Amino acid sequence: MKLERRDFLKLGLAATALSALDLRFLRPVDGARAAASAPLEQVIRSTCSPNCTGACGFMAQVNDGRITTLIQSADYPEAEYNPRGCLRGLSMMNLIYGKDRLKYPLIRTGPRGSGEFRKATWDEALDYTAARLKDIMAKYGSEAVAVTVQVPGTGYVQKGAFVRLAALANWSIHHGYDQNGDLPMFWPMTFGVQTEELESLEWPNARYTMVFGSNIIQTRLPDAKQLIEAKKRGKLVVFDPDFCATSAKADEWVALKPDSDAAMGLGLARVIIDRNLYDAAFLRDFTDMPLLVRRDTGKRLRAGEVKALAAAAAAVKVPEYRDQFVFLNGSGPALLNPEDLGPIDARLDAEATVDLADGTRVEVETVFRALKRWLADYSLERVAELTEVPAEQIQRIAIEAATSKPLHVIYGASNYQWYHGDLKGRALALLPVLTGNIGASGAGISTYAGQYRIRFDLDHWWLPPEGKLNWVPYLYFLQGHGKRYPEKGIKAMFGGWGNPFDQHNMANRLKDRCASGDIELVVTFDFQMTTSCQWSDVVFPAASWYENYDLTATILHPYLQLQQPAIAPLFDSRSALELARDLAKRLDPGIEKYFYPELEPRAAALKVIEDMLAKGGAETRGITLEMLKKGPVRVHSSAPGDRQIPFHEQIHDRVPFPPRSYPPPLKATARFVRSGRIEFYKDEDLFLREGEQLPCRKETFADTEYRVDPTVRDKYKLRFVTKNSLYRVHSTHSNNVWMNELQGHQPKLFLNAQDAAERRLEPGHLVEVYNNRGKTRATLVLDPGCRRGTAIFEQGWWAKYLHNESYNSLTMHWIKPLHEIYFVPGIWSPTSVWNECLVEVRRAEA
Amino acid sequence: MRRGMVIDLEKCIGCRSCAVACKQHNAQPAGNWWNRVVTPGSDQHQTAPEKGREYFLPIHCQHCQNAPCEKVCPVGATFRADDGTILVDYERCIGCRYCMAACPYGVRQFNWEDPEQAMSRYHYQDGYAFGNPREYRYQGRLVYAPVRTKGIVEKCHFCVHYLDQGLDPACVRGCPGKARTVGDLDDPDSVVSRLIRDKNGFQLLPEKGTRPNVYYLPPKRKEA
Amino acid sequence: MSTTKKIAYLVTAALMVAGFAAWGYQLKEGLVLTHMRNSYSWGLYVSTLAFFVGNAAGGLVLSSLIYLFGVKKLKPFAKIGALCAFANVTAAMFAILPDIGKPFRIHNMILHPQLLSPLVWDVAVLNLYALISLVYLYLLMLPELTGPFARIAIRVKDPEAFSETWARRLAPFSLVAAVGIHVVTAWVFSTQGSRDWWFSPALAPDFVAVALASGTALVMLAAVLVYGIRDLYRDAYRTLAVFISVAFFIHLFLMYNDMFIHLWYGAEEARETLAITLRQYLPAHLFEVLAPLAAVVALLSARVRESAAAVAASCVLLISGVLVHRFLIMPAAFDRVPLTIAPLGLQNVTWSVPIASGRYTETGDTFVTAWHYFPSAIEITIVLGVVAYMCFLVMVAIDRLPITERST
Repeated sequence: MKLERRDFLKLGLAATALSALDLRFLRPVDGARAAASAPLEQVIRSTCSPNCTGACGFMAQVNDGRITTLIQSADYPEAEYNPRGCLRGLSMMNLIYGKDRLKYPLIRTGPRGSGEFRKATWDEALDYTAARLKDIMAKYGSEAVAVTVQVPGTGYVQKGAFVRLAALANWSIHHGYDQNGDLPMFWPMTFGVQTEELESLEWPNARYTMVFGSNIIQTRLPDAKQLIEAKKRGKLVVFDPDFCATSAKADEWVALKPDSDAAMGLGLARVIIDRNLYDAAFLRDFTDMPLLVRRDTGKRLRAGEVKALAAAAAAVKVPEYRDQFVFLNGSGPALLNPEDLGPIDARLDAEATVDLADGTRVEVETVFRALKRWLADYSLERVAELTEVPAEQIQRIAIEAATSKPLHVIYGASNYQWYHGDLKGRALALLPVLTGNIGASGAGISTYAGQYRIRFDLDHWWLPPEGKLNWVPYLYFLQGHGKRYPEKGIKAMFGGWGNPFDQHNMANRLKDRCASGDIELVVTFDFQMTTSCQWSDVVFPAASWYENYDLTATILHPYLQLQQPAIAPLFDSRSALELARDLAKRLDPGIEKYFYPELEPRAAALKVIEDMLAKGGAETRGITLEMLKKGPVRVHSSAPGDRQIPFHEQIHDRVPFPPRSYPPPLKATARFVRSGRIEFYKDEDLFLREGEQLPCRKETFADTEYRVDPTVRDKYKLRFVTKNSLYRVHSTHSNNVWMNELQGHQPKLFLNAQDAAERRLEPGHLVEVYNNRGKTRATLVLDPGCRRGTAIFEQGWWAKYLHNESYNSLTMHWIKPLHEIYFVPGIWSPTSVWNECLVEVRRAEA
Repeated sequence: MRRGMVIDLEKCIGCRSCAVACKQHNAQPAGNWWNRVVTPGSDQHQTAPEKGREYFLPIHCQHCQNAPCEKVCPVGATFRADDGTILVDYERCIGCRYCMAACPYGVRQFNWEDPEQAMSRYHYQDGYAFGNPREYRYQGRLVYAPVRTKGIVEKCHFCVHYLDQGLDPACVRGCPGKARTVGDLDDPDSVVSRLIRDKNGFQLLPEKGTRPNVYYLPPKRKEA
Repeated sequence: MSTTKKIAYLVTAALMVAGFAAWGYQLKEGLVLTHMRNSYSWGLYVSTLAFFVGNAAGGLVLSSLIYLFGVKKLKPFAKIGALCAFANVTAAMFAILPDIGKPFRIHNMILHPQLLSPLVWDVAVLNLYALISLVYLYLLMLPELTGPFARIAIRVKDPEAFSETWARRLAPFSLVAAVGIHVVTAWVFSTQGSRDWWFSPALAPDFVAVALASGTALVMLAAVLVYGIRDLYRDAYRTLAVFISVAFFIHLFLMYNDMFIHLWYGAEEARETLAITLRQYLPAHLFEVLAPLAAVVALLSARVRESAAAVAASCVLLISGVLVHRFLIMPAAFDRVPLTIAPLGLQNVTWSVPIASGRYTETGDTFVTAWHYFPSAIEITIVLGVVAYMCFLVMVAIDRLPITERST
């Protein structure tokens, strides 16, 4: 008897459900009464998984095969974490059962973007897609197909299946972290890592919290309570040009000028140094502050150059990602061992003249001395002027920050998503580093944008040895060229879990290139008919995170959690693993075997999880699938209690910087901090040429908008801030009926009352926001908290709510050359800078 | 035993998760929200009324001890549970809406049309309906049903249908800020009583004499 | 039957049928067919209830004036008064029925009456009044219940004396009932501290004053249509005119005294409430004051009272003014949502807390702080049907029953 696929799935579901689900999750209704009256009710715990960094456990109550209610599972071992969750997770049924749910595969019939499709079977759609892909690969090479899975953390298994396929097919692949502009480039530059952050449970352990450009109260909803607790136990200072919900909760709000945080950081650093509030011992042992810099070339002094050290240097072997630098001790120049963070008896603030091996003499100074000289430009008076913050306030805050340990700096995306965002991060990193607030509970600098984090070694699933991943920065794709860009270009887009036609259509490039036919194939995997689906040639309906198995992780907390199916995939939707497998076998029958073809998709997913955990390394040692089925499990770290405290190992166990940032091997990123220490001084040629060897303040828009078109200075006077909305996770939930009801169904533009009055605009007016790249429209709201010169728009509205004029048609895919001197995908890469955008606003025609 | 709730406005981040949890668990159709969260002084939620000043306020049935709605109901459909919760008997309500006129907080919602028809305005697939699917009777009276009928009144009932299971109301469980606490106001040592005492708990519209069982803790003063 | 009468019957019958059909449709679709919503939850139906109750009161006050205070000249109008009382009080109860969300559960008021509820008192007292007015009318008609009506006449030795005696005995009760129905109806509103516009001790006496004016005017209108202007009734008409005027002026005093003290004290919330009536609804307010005022001035003029048409028009003008007055019970109570707060940390701000209106559209805002209500076509049709019923009943009764005095 041959089982129909559906029956098989149902049986499989029932079998795996009963075997896989812990019986704790099966709660019959009120015992006997249930048997008599209600159908068996199940409660299944899954993990809500959009790219919000929440990764919150939710219980789905299932009746008659449908999810009837959702509520937070609140089952994290530390009570302070519970319950997590938010209004979007609580209304997820609106997406699962809403009218935009994709039911079956679609193949385009009308022009791109028209939304005209015909229904197809999976086989038909897969055959079609495989055929088109093979054509393109034959014509342009396999790298002409580019995959995007957005950010990894929300689904190691399912997203991993797409990545695995890309590797085996030798396709190109974009990294969601830099595509989203979530990559704060100061991290690899200063610490040699992708990004680091404290888990939010650690926030209340800080005594002084400084938040720069992060609206935590609105964007880190499940963790906001930790910030309020931190405020209760210490002091919370929020730096934000606008008065937002987080500013409202702060003890002190510093209304600094937009994009002036580098000046602020340097001004604060100057006060700390001038008043000797820095931790000299820390700087000596863990940073590049004692290292010597040549005053003639600006390059750091290498031991091999120094007459007294050349022989000793040659005798020591260091890994190729290290260099041998020089410091000064009582006797003169000394060789620094980059593989040892032992205490060194170095002079911190010094200069000297050194005899070089080639016979010449050179004047050198320590990085610390260079920094002090550098900071001469950042007096309180000048910084006050640059930031528009009173000098006394800056001084007082600097003293408070330096004398309240632990100090925690939270550095947010709306701060660093500027062209010179890396300078701001490097400047602000001075605060915790100068004061020794690194690697300790409640201390450090953290960024929390994007669920980028790969918490352990995923190579086993993501990168099979037979495969090869060709990473291409998304910004190169958008502009059509770049370093290491596929020779014949990228001609096919294959994506899931993302909505680039709304969210990454900068300067409308994507739609233009699709309309012109330059991009020959667009395939999208999603569970709702988004704008990107509308622009696709083939659409595959996806199972949601209540309909399949997956493994998730995030940055706000170190728990691994399962997604578990509460219901069968709706209509004809399937999991990514299944799609990858079925597509793989059509592309090349030899690669089908990499996707567990012998297992039913759910069983395959579970197997992948088991293997991932077994082979994940120290972080997953002892963690099993059975444990995960019972609830969230903390990954291991080197900090006590497995706490997520960045650089704990570096500071306490003196392991050199950097720690590894999965998935690349250590050597790929360690070369960013060749000294094995925290580095503020960067001496690559381009850093020196740009005058950014140390963090500095650079004028906003001078290198972007004003450089490209100087007339913009007078034409477009408003900074365009496309902030996150309370009601959406980027563009997920844009069509959520309750979220839209709560917003009065209106996309909004926020202006300062004076700016509105000058443009003769009144609240409630339909206004058009425009520049020379594009336009969008919204209803005007006067916002007393909005600073003059700023136009705030809540991003994430699907194009259909904006008359098909997307807010991203106004933004630009600027690329800072310094972000191209190395390439490690998602770690050192050109990264999107949304805020680097000027606009004007006028009344829209009805 | 007097069941009461304390909402800490310092912890309230105005996310409206409680309003959504309530809506969801109680199957409220389009246009009806028993629970709402607002930004006092502002036209637009989470836009400050004035630069430098913003806080958030959740409002739903206050379960008053001197409830005007209970007193005006001609048929006793609005009644008081043993723990002080004000409930509506869906089978007895005649839909005169006197209680709606009587409530100074404006918390009551009426089924102006067939709720299934109202629900259809959300355009779910295949007749999908959300909400706790089981009816609940308090002392035999129907105080929760997943589908109500047109022409009757409804409102927050402190999730009486979860009480038996020892569960807190949906708004409490759904609040990521942990701003809400439920407890016995008659017990001076209960968490809620202590919160009110220690943190200057206040009521809304005390001058109306309704004596609500819902208290608020003021947002903190800034002592920078 | 005269043409006018035929048309009158046809029109009222048609309106009643339309009203009934509209109500049937509303029963099917729900009250969503009205323009009320969560923040504005009472509208035309309830103000019509107040209107009819007021009119009803007048009828029996008149009758008690005759028997308690010996104003014999009004005797010819006694039966008309009782009839109007009965017709209007039943119309009131019919008017409120469409407002009930679940009218087939109305028996719950008898099975489970909540004795603290002013609505229960109102229903009780209205039914009592209907009974009293019916009994009263019967008593007054008794002496003329001969011929075809003899079968419904109770057998008494001296019907005239019986009628007189019992009318006199019943008079104090009917007076109390007449005043009572409108005091109790006023209490439905004035006990509610949630609505500043209603929460006043002046409301009950004010309702009574208005009732006396409009109810009496209604009797006067009926009388003048039935009898016309005759020497016999000139005095009676004058008495009625004076009575109406005094009642109206007392109403003006009660209403403006209340407004004055609030305006003087100047609390913002009170001023905003009053502004709804006095500013937003200024045209309506002017009408509710000036129309009856004009009517009263007219009626007080002996010259005007020479013309039946003029008298009738004046009465209609006054009653219309009262209808608008009753309508204005609602806007200042419901136009703005009831909950206003003074936000912490802001100076001089009273702020309305939005309510989920119950109205959902895919482009608009569910949440409102104000609601500008005007009745929908369904509401107006239903209310017209009730008005038609009242007119129809009065016409049929006058036609078929010994209500009017035979010309002597």
